[in-house]
Amino acid sequence: MELTERDLIRNCQKGDSAAYEELTAKYYRRVLMVILGIVHHREDAMEVAQETFYKGFRNIKSFQGGSSFYTWIYRIAVNLAIDFQRRQKRAVADSRENMDDVVVASESLGTDPYRELRDRELGERLLAAIDELTPDHKAVILMRAVEGLSYKEIGRIMGCSEGTVMSRLHYARKKLQEKLGPDL
Amino acid sequence: MSDCDRIQEWLGAWLDGELPQARSAEVKLHVEKCAACAAEKVRIQRLDAALKRALEARVSDAAFAPFWAGVRERIAQEKSPRQRVFDWMRRGVAFPRIAWGVPVAAVVLIALFSTIRPSGWFVPSNQASVESIDGHGFNVALLREAKTKTTVIWLFENQETEDENPVEPAASEQAF
Amino acid sequence: MRIPSSLRRASKLFSLWLIFAAPLGAAEHPAVPVQLKIGTILATNQAECLDSQLAKLKQQLEVVKYRCYRLIREESKKSSWDTNTVFEIPGGRSLVVMPYEFRNARVALKVRLLEGEKPIVDTTVRFPNKGNFLLGGPAHEGGVLILSISAAAQ
Repeated sequence: MELTERDLIRNCQKGDSAAYEELTAKYYRRVLMVILGIVHHREDAMEVAQETFYKGFRNIKSFQGGSSFYTWIYRIAVNLAIDFQRRQKRAVADSRENMDDVVVASESLGTDPYRELRDRELGERLLAAIDELTPDHKAVILMRAVEGLSYKEIGRIMGCSEGTVMSRLHYARKKLQEKLGPDL
Repeated sequence: MSDCDRIQEWLGAWLDGELPQARSAEVKLHVEKCAACAAEKVRIQRLDAALKRALEARVSDAAFAPFWAGVRERIAQEKSPRQRVFDWMRRGVAFPRIAWGVPVAAVVLIALFSTIRPSGWFVPSNQASVESIDGHGFNVALLREAKTKTTVIWLFENQETEDENPVEPAASEQAF
Repeated sequence: MRIPSSLRRASKLFSLWLIFAAPLGAAEHPAVPVQLKIGTILATNQAECLDSQLAKLKQQLEVVKYRCYRLIREESKKSSWDTNTVFEIPGGRSLVVMPYEFRNARVALKVRLLEGEKPIVDTTVRFPNKGNFLLGGPAHEGGVLILSISAAAQ
């Protein structure tokens, strides 16, 4: 019988690491995406994402179920990523170089190679542009555009009002549109 | 501020479904009539979609096994509950009155851990877990999809690496 | 310090339990052989198709995003534990599978895919009894091969 997410969380709270492995398998890519958008550097993103899930495991007993698990784990992820980004003094050029190294495995699995190439070019410019935003602006647009979280959920994660989320999003989108110009 | 400037301030929130009903209706009506604002709406949609695609592409090769290994390593660095019990018992030895409890507790714990398998840390997952992969001259990706409980090990031919590694003959009956 | 006699008796009982019960819990796999089943599937991007014999695997196969899936070989063998069993795979390849552990209703397999004598991949996978995993990627007849590897231990 397939366990529901609530069952998995309950098992995790009893110390079941296999249940936590399942939850991690379900969300690690989505969490990694948002972190990668904030910290930009691939290895740093992996490190922060692993730390996120480790902290999640340690604190799972305090998870009350008032929000969904992914909102809860996102809060940990975004806070860690923003802290990390603020601490980092890494040169932007270095970060970009590392982003280019990534091998995209799924491209080889039966998808249209021309679309992938076009998307990849735009994606690279977009990720370079997003790196020039502040961590707070990055986090807000990533949580909305990538995850589709509501302003309320984003506000809860970021510890700010829905109005602040709205104005940060407006600013971030405007900046990215300016950077990308007619390519968009 | 022109009508268009005002509407474009709200366009993003409107697309996100976050505007109050009355304002949402106002934006919708304007966008239906105004070509410039309709184009701006499409640009926002494209931006969000491109951002999502770009990040999805960059994490698609992030295999679960090494990721989980990193998390598990961090968890393992913490003291296990069993270790904490033993530490507590060791502290107990310092008090002569409860010293006799140490061997009894040890017997209980060992017996419990050796007979009660499917509990606590040992509860099985309902998906395959890959414990090791060694691609001989091939890039290997691990895909895991929780909904369908699918685990895929995928091999990508990598000519450069392949050429660097001499062929390693292996007897088929050799235990590996 | 003097240990109360009731506690001494309890300790003896626990020791007996330990001696007799622990070996039962330590068994790593059942005495019966394990049934291994390998389905070899050819995945291509030709017109959309799904072999009717692959209906049960449809959702799993969709993960790899090809358009057409055909079952080109299926082989089932009984294997003893800790013993290699060889399956022939199209294109001069072979798959060596060694079941080595059964714990918590999960089977652990060591799997090696070879092309001729050359190993392509070695992996160790643990999955629920009667479950499966997919191993794919080798090129074959304009597409790629996907192997569905399953095991039933009881």
